[in-house]
Amino acid sequence: MTTAAHQAPEVHAPKSPTTGIHRFTRPGWLRALWTTPLFFGIGIALVCGFRWLFGWDPIWDGVPILTVELVTTPLGFLVGIGGFDYWAYYAAGRPTLAEDHSSHGAKSWRDYFRINTDHKVIGIQYVVTTIFFFCVGGLLAMLFRAELARPGDQYFNPQTFNVLVSDHAALMIFLFIIPAFAGLGNYVIPLMLGAADMAFPRLNALSFWLLPIAGFMLIAGMAAPGGGPSSGWTCYAPLCSHQPVGQVFFNMAVQWAGASSIMTALNFLVTIITMRAPGMTFWRMPLLVWANFTTSLLVVLATPFIAGSQFFVMFDRVLHTNFFEYQQGGYVLGYQHIFWFYSHPAVYIMMLPGFGIISEVISVMSRKPIFGYRLMALSLMAILVLGFSVWAHHMFVAGMASWLRVPMMVTSMVIAVPTGIKIFSWLATMWEGRLHFTTPMLFALGFLSMFVIGGLSGIYLASVPIDIHASDTYFIVAHIHYVLFGGSVFTIFAGIYYWFPKMTGRMYSERLGKLHFWLTFVGFNLTFFPMHYIGLQGMPRRVADYASRFADINLFISIASFGLGASTLVFLYNMARSWRYGPVAEANPWHALTLEWQVSSPPPVFNFDEIPQVVGNPYEYGVPGARHAILGAPTPAPEPVGAAD
Amino acid sequence: MRTGSIIQLVAIGLVVGAICTAVALLIPWMPVAAGREASRIDFVYWFATVIAIVVFSVVASVLIYEVWKFGVRSDDFTDGPPVHGHTAVEIVWTAIPALLVTAISIVSAVVLAKDGDAGTNPVKINVVAQQFAWEFTYSNGKTYGYLTLPEGLHTKLDITSKDVIHSFWVPQLSQKQDAVPGQHNSLVITPTRLGTYPVICTELCGLGHSVMRSHVDIVSQADFTKFLKGGGSTSGPPGLAVFQKNGCGSCHTLKAAGATGTIGPDLDNLAAYAKEANRGSLEAFILESIVSPAAYIQPHYNDLMPHTFKAQIPPAQLDQLVQYLVENAKQ
Repeated sequence: MTTAAHQAPEVHAPKSPTTGIHRFTRPGWLRALWTTPLFFGIGIALVCGFRWLFGWDPIWDGVPILTVELVTTPLGFLVGIGGFDYWAYYAAGRPTLAEDHSSHGAKSWRDYFRINTDHKVIGIQYVVTTIFFFCVGGLLAMLFRAELARPGDQYFNPQTFNVLVSDHAALMIFLFIIPAFAGLGNYVIPLMLGAADMAFPRLNALSFWLLPIAGFMLIAGMAAPGGGPSSGWTCYAPLCSHQPVGQVFFNMAVQWAGASSIMTALNFLVTIITMRAPGMTFWRMPLLVWANFTTSLLVVLATPFIAGSQFFVMFDRVLHTNFFEYQQGGYVLGYQHIFWFYSHPAVYIMMLPGFGIISEVISVMSRKPIFGYRLMALSLMAILVLGFSVWAHHMFVAGMASWLRVPMMVTSMVIAVPTGIKIFSWLATMWEGRLHFTTPMLFALGFLSMFVIGGLSGIYLASVPIDIHASDTYFIVAHIHYVLFGGSVFTIFAGIYYWFPKMTGRMYSERLGKLHFWLTFVGFNLTFFPMHYIGLQGMPRRVADYASRFADINLFISIASFGLGASTLVFLYNMARSWRYGPVAEANPWHALTLEWQVSSPPPVFNFDEIPQVVGNPYEYGVPGARHAILGAPTPAPEPVGAAD
Repeated sequence: MRTGSIIQLVAIGLVVGAICTAVALLIPWMPVAAGREASRIDFVYWFATVIAIVVFSVVASVLIYEVWKFGVRSDDFTDGPPVHGHTAVEIVWTAIPALLVTAISIVSAVVLAKDGDAGTNPVKINVVAQQFAWEFTYSNGKTYGYLTLPEGLHTKLDITSKDVIHSFWVPQLSQKQDAVPGQHNSLVITPTRLGTYPVICTELCGLGHSVMRSHVDIVSQADFTKFLKGGGSTSGPPGLAVFQKNGCGSCHTLKAAGATGTIGPDLDNLAAYAKEANRGSLEAFILESIVSPAAYIQPHYNDLMPHTFKAQIPPAQLDQLVQYLVENAKQ
């Protein structure tokens, strides 16, 4: 991006003919209408063509066709909506406009439903899409809680029950928590850095559109013959290689979501490294930027491992490779090692951006500098490094090399230290502060208390002997919900409320926001705290039927979970109504110092009229005369650090 | 910091600590231990619980105090004191948690080593899991669908699986081990309390996961010796041995075999079921139900029975099993 980009975008927009046949050739949903079936046909032709060429019988084989279709059909859709247009033109040597901003920014609601290169539009696309999948995932959870209200079979057969459990987890993890953070980061990080956009806006647009594809694939998989993916979100081999074909939808959906994650993470890394405003040194970056920097490193390094694990089980099914088939010399536990080498770091992928959000909210709402800023940033890096050395604590009872257990226990325990530093630093930040109990602050405080409980139950599980007892029971279910719901989801809510005025230009209703918080907080604890007890007492996870002595407590949990689900309605109503009718928000309603609050709400199309000059730290509340950045001053250097494309 | 606020902080911490202690003590969180390993795991659990209560009380007291004391009106945007950090405090809250987790790690490692020690001459039992049943084979070569363990003796289970991953767990014995196909894992159990406890599969293994249950009888050493010598498959008709060897009793009830499973249809009602199903003679119906269980499924039951018995049971033994069930049904 150069400052030249700040002129009116229309100047650069090529005039697209909008009538007749051209409506079907320019990027958009109309073109996707024929490219999607075209690529569907290409997929069938590829498989049948190869099978005919090599003389394999039968030529028409459902499983390989489905597998290839789950790649080609979404590709056709992406080609149709224009995800690859610029690169295709470039590769073909056709004329391209490097500064083409025709698809930048949103003037009407329609602009949110097409390829859009504006990080602010993409951020909102992400957040709204992920909330949709959050609702779907939550509904699935309430369905299986209804089944679990009484022992025995009520509404669902075991296959459907397993699908509900698997898809609930997969949607919440891959389609809600991870991308919701990517969405909030997308909106906020370029603003915080004083940049006009992300480093690769077109890649950014493409990363977003992979997401609805992954989500749709998981949901569509439920309708597959024989039932949907049913081997849990962990999809352990060899069980998952022999499940009905719905499992392939899971294998491939994870690939699409993973590709989206990796592309966004690369974009964040390049943006944070090269597009900081002049004077924005690493030690002057807001902690949210630090958090997304470390998270993106985790994503880039770890996500290829889950891609590998899902490809391997898919190959075992479709190509009859024997990676995890012990009778043919495969290594069953190899799956778990590869899977957890991603999926434990993924726990931090789902938590570190939340830490960043909490740092922003607590500092601003306490009107005090972050306590121990550098140690806060360094502890993020410590978690990043340690996060790669603890994966096998998910396998203490799996039968892996037994000597590996004690070292993995020690590293898992050590991670509590940097995490503890963060908790104590937030408490110290609030000490003698001037606390504003707004909705984002309530969610931040809720997060602090719930995450401490989740962290402490994590210490129990890091201890090998206790884990041997508690592994694969409802104690695990309780722990993961305390860290992922009480942890991550609370921080996502805090972030959405905190930046809502910036994103929409309107203020949400504090009254409804607080109601939402209290309903969620109480419903959450009533739902998940009793799970610790039934788990330790002997109820395993992922069961449709259970011993009758757990009947009363499960009924209680089910009722509480419906209340928790209903609390989301308050949130949805508040968001929808405030977005349309809420009072117009000021540029800086929280009186915050970071850069995103120094521009209008919502910000101009290219964020800053002039590149800001950063002169100090981002949290200097109470320091006389301190400033984070100077806006509107003559830009000292004509070129910001790094360039786009 | 004023003395008054320190007293208030400590008071809140004590109240929170008292509440947490009450919750920890009044609710029976862990099952009553029935084995030496379980008692040790109980000890680690309580060790960690004491530390967790202290940490939680400290955090909660500070948080509650701050919420109580430091709130301001929503339109008051004056800043708090510009404190950026305090090196000594930061060192303290890095060092103390490090010490605490080190202590838990050491205790855990010692207990883990002890729990894995089977002594010099343990009782050996082979455990084979499959969808969705357990088989337990003893030194005398006999196989049962449920587990019998001697009180006070080290036993060492050799655990494996025929198909997918399962996991062996008895809550009262605390010990758990995955059954992995193609791999033999061992688990040490030293029972200390007589009684019957559930054996639960804790690793999602397919449609019948939630009903993959058996039980363990912990008996005195004298009774265990008696059990090894007699009972089981040697007494009674040859079909009974096949029935027990293949773990039928973990899912089905059959009074003559002492089986009390409730996951599958009650085999004492076989004659009535055969009539209801109307799929040929009683003999043909029983054979079909074993070798292709999905061909006809009794109403109110699911397709959970392993489809592997056709390949698993040799024809001669299959014949004995069918004859045994036919005779039993005709009585």
